[in-house]
This record gives sequence, structure tokens and C-alpha cells, in this order.
Amino acid sequence: MKRISCWLILCTSVLALNVKAQNREGETGFKSIFNEKNLKGWHLSRTSHQGTTPKVEIEDGAIVMGDQPFGQGGVLLTNKSYSSFELKIEVKLDSFCNSGIFIRSNEGGAAYQIELSKPGNTGALYGERISPSKVMYAKELDKVWKENDWNEFHIKMVGDTPHVTLWVNGVLMWELQQPKNDFIAGATEGMIGLQCHWTAVYSSSASQGMPLDSWRPNAKVRFRNIRIKQLD
Amino acid sequence: MIMRLMQLKGRLFFYLIFILFFSTAVSYLHAQHRVVVNFIGIEFVEIQPGKMIVGKYQPTVSRGWGYDPKRKSEFPQILPETDFERAEQLASAASRPGFMVTIDKLFYIGKFEVTQSQWEKVMGVNPSTFNQELLNVDTRNFPVESVSWKAVQEFIKKLNQLDTVNSYRLPSEFEWEYAARAGATDDIAWNEINKVAVIAKSTPSAVGSKVPNAWGLYDMLGNVWEWVEDFYNEQLFADPVPPQKGSQHVLKGAPFYGDVKNATYMTHAGGPGSKYDVGFRLVMFKKNSK
Repeated sequence: MKRISCWLILCTSVLALNVKAQNREGETGFKSIFNEKNLKGWHLSRTSHQGTTPKVEIEDGAIVMGDQPFGQGGVLLTNKSYSSFELKIEVKLDSFCNSGIFIRSNEGGAAYQIELSKPGNTGALYGERISPSKVMYAKELDKVWKENDWNEFHIKMVGDTPHVTLWVNGVLMWELQQPKNDFIAGATEGMIGLQCHWTAVYSSSASQGMPLDSWRPNAKVRFRNIRIKQLD
Repeated sequence: MIMRLMQLKGRLFFYLIFILFFSTAVSYLHAQHRVVVNFIGIEFVEIQPGKMIVGKYQPTVSRGWGYDPKRKSEFPQILPETDFERAEQLASAASRPGFMVTIDKLFYIGKFEVTQSQWEKVMGVNPSTFNQELLNVDTRNFPVESVSWKAVQEFIKKLNQLDTVNSYRLPSEFEWEYAARAGATDDIAWNEINKVAVIAKSTPSAVGSKVPNAWGLYDMLGNVWEWVEDFYNEQLFADPVPPQKGSQHVLKGAPFYGDVKNATYMTHAGGPGSKYDVGFRLVMFKKNSK
């Protein structure tokens, strides 16, 4: 009886997982790029000015990022590059924690960035080490934002001359057609990157560093349910 | 009249002494940064032995504009004072004294990053992404880039075969940092970085377009990342003894799109980089003396 129960539980679990996978696949043809167990398929940038040694852990099926050592951030990158795609990702953000979702990133973390910062301009399109021809702001974000909770970002990036669209929690925030390709050397593909912002320089002889509100002590940003649909 | 002549002689003697002193000082300064040129025109600067501290970490805690209640901010909230106190504790706990490194032999290091034309002279092709075709300008004097560490080893092997007098290799990380510091004991200030480094740009620039460091070396910071000999240890800074093996090699110096944050002597990055942002400079020795 005990053995039958075990089999039943196992079969039900497998079935549930399949249904979950089919639902995601069936929903829009998205594929998971984070296995919820380890960082297979991801790596840390070794050339980002944010830092190269951030703390990255997996907790409850989510990627959790923080500074390490104190004041040094970093960028977690997919191993694979993407050109035109739709990305869906859930984010939970501590306050005073400047993070971002990088799209078409190079190894050094030069990319378009969907800003993640509370307080701040969460949902804005900025550039990280590149200058977008146009920036955008998610002016209606507060209407859909769930404070201290998971929020889903849906980013669509299409074309050599980027056409970018952002939805947060299923609601359209903005849509943008850039007039030209802003990426270094005219790149038309790049990696997905998750940012942990730096605050400290190596010595005060360099400068005073970034204000501490770019990354509050022990602040964390969390990412989960990361899935992508390639469009080319 | 005699008195007048004697006064004139005294003045001439003073001038002579002044000129002698000045010319000696100039030649001494020149000797400190002696430049030698190899058979294909690559210039090298003589670097004298010495010591430096590497890996000293004194992380800053900045209150910045967010703390100033008088300044209008787009963010109305202000970080609580307890966070600054906690940050000071964490910064103190994370600080490290670094370690002493001795450069015990004189060496010659490239005055500039190896250029596209220098690479082409040796290898017959130009692998660079930012070539004349892409930029529509003469890029012969731009740093060669899009070169893997292995490709650089091929270049060095060929150069060593061609040169009968000198031999070449990549600098060690410590040689590179020692040359980049040019005697500086602490890290470089942000306003100085902008004078010496090509950063925050969308393409590299011709080598030597910024001012040199105190030892006459150009573009040690910025323009392209530079390969060094050592394996990468996946840490913030180098270890006193570099690892004997690894999957990547260390990159120093920061790229053309870099930031004042990482365009410093101290930044210890790792390959592979973004291909188009990685180049190198050489060190040179008399044959059989390395």
C-alpha cells in the first residue's frame, strides 16, 4: 500500500510538471531558460564594471543576487545570445536596490536595460555603457506594481533596428521603435543579463563611489520563472 | 673694467652651471623612460625594477546626493541612517591590506597597445572588428582587437621567429599593473582617468590619443582590454601567486566603452571579453634573458 502511494505521488508530480511545461509552451511557445535548481546556462560577466564577483544563490526556485564583497555588484548573463525574442521574467526587488534586466548584452554588460529600482524609474528603458537613441519611462507602473511582491516583466525585442515593447503584470507600459541600431559595432544579438549594481570603488583616492542607495546593505534582487520565445 | 669682466665671467660661469645641471636632469629623466624600437617599429619603454602593493581593498560608503535633504531628488525617500552605519561596518569587514609585489628585473613594455598594422605585418591579416571598412577611417594605428589569448600566442611565436635580437611575451599581471601604476601607490582618481583613458565611447581610438602615464605609457587604461600571461582566479583581485591553470586568462585595463569604475590599475578582469574589446601589449627582452 505504501509503495502504491509512493508511485501515485510520483506519477501525479510528473503529470503536474508536464502540465505546467505544456501550459507555458502552449501559452505562447516560451521555453524556460532557468531550471530553478542551479545556474546551468548562465555565467557571470568577468568584464563588467559593476563587478565580477557578486553573490548569486538559488532560493525557492529563484535566482537571488547581492553584492560581494561589500560594494561590488555584477551581471549574470545567459550563455546563449538572442536576436529577436520575447522574454518573460518575474522580479522581486528590495527597496534601494538598483538592478536591471539587460537585453542584447555583450560580455562586458553593455546593453539596453530595463531599469529595476524602487524607489526609482522601474520599467524605464536605459542604456548600460551604450546610449539608446530614445529612452522610455513606465509612467503607469504604479497602477500595476505590487510592492514587496513578485512582478512579471514581459519584454519584446525585435529587429536589427530595435523595436522594444514592455508589459508589466500583463499591462502595456510602452512601445518603442528606435531610429537606428545603438549597439556596439552594430550588434544584432546579445545575451540576457541580470544586474546587481555596485556602490564601492576600491579606494577613496579614486572617488567617493556610488551613493549607498544604489545598493542598500544586504539588499537582494530575485528573479524566477524566466522564459523566452525566440522570434527568428 | 677688470672688475666688470670678472662680474661677467662670474655670470657666465653661473649660466654654464645652470645649463649643465638642466641638461643632466633632462637626460636623467629621459633615461628613466628610455624608449627602444624593435625591427618592425614597435616602441618599448624601459621599466626599472621596484615594488608595489596589489589587491588593497578599501571600499567606500557614499552618502551621495540621496542623503542631502536640501537637494531636490526624483526619489523622495531617503536611506535610513542605520543603513549607513551598517554599510560602514560591512565596508570595514571587507577591507583588505593587499600584498607586496616585487618586480626584480628591468623589462621593456609596449609604449602602446599593438596596432592593427603591426599585427598585419606579422600575421598577414587584420582580424579587428573596428577596421577601416566598418569605421570608414584609417584604422592602421588603432589597437588590434578580436584576438583570443591563443591567437596572441601565435602572433608572439611568429614575432619571436622573425626577430633575431629580442624575444617577446605577454606581460605578467604584476608587470602590467606595475607599469600602469608608474609609481602610483594608491588607485587613480576619476578626473585623472578621463585624461589618460579612452572610455565611455562607442569605438576604440587610435593608440596614443590620450596623455601618457608618468612613465610614458599610453592607453594602459581604456581603449581595449589587454591580455596578460596569467590565468584568471575568478576573484576580485589577483592572488600573490597566480594560479597554474584555469579556463580563462586575466584582462587588465578596461575597454573603450568602460567606466571610471573599472578603468583603474587595480581592476582584475577575465576573458573571453566581448571579442571586439580585447587586445594586448607586449613585453620585450634580449634573447635568452627572460
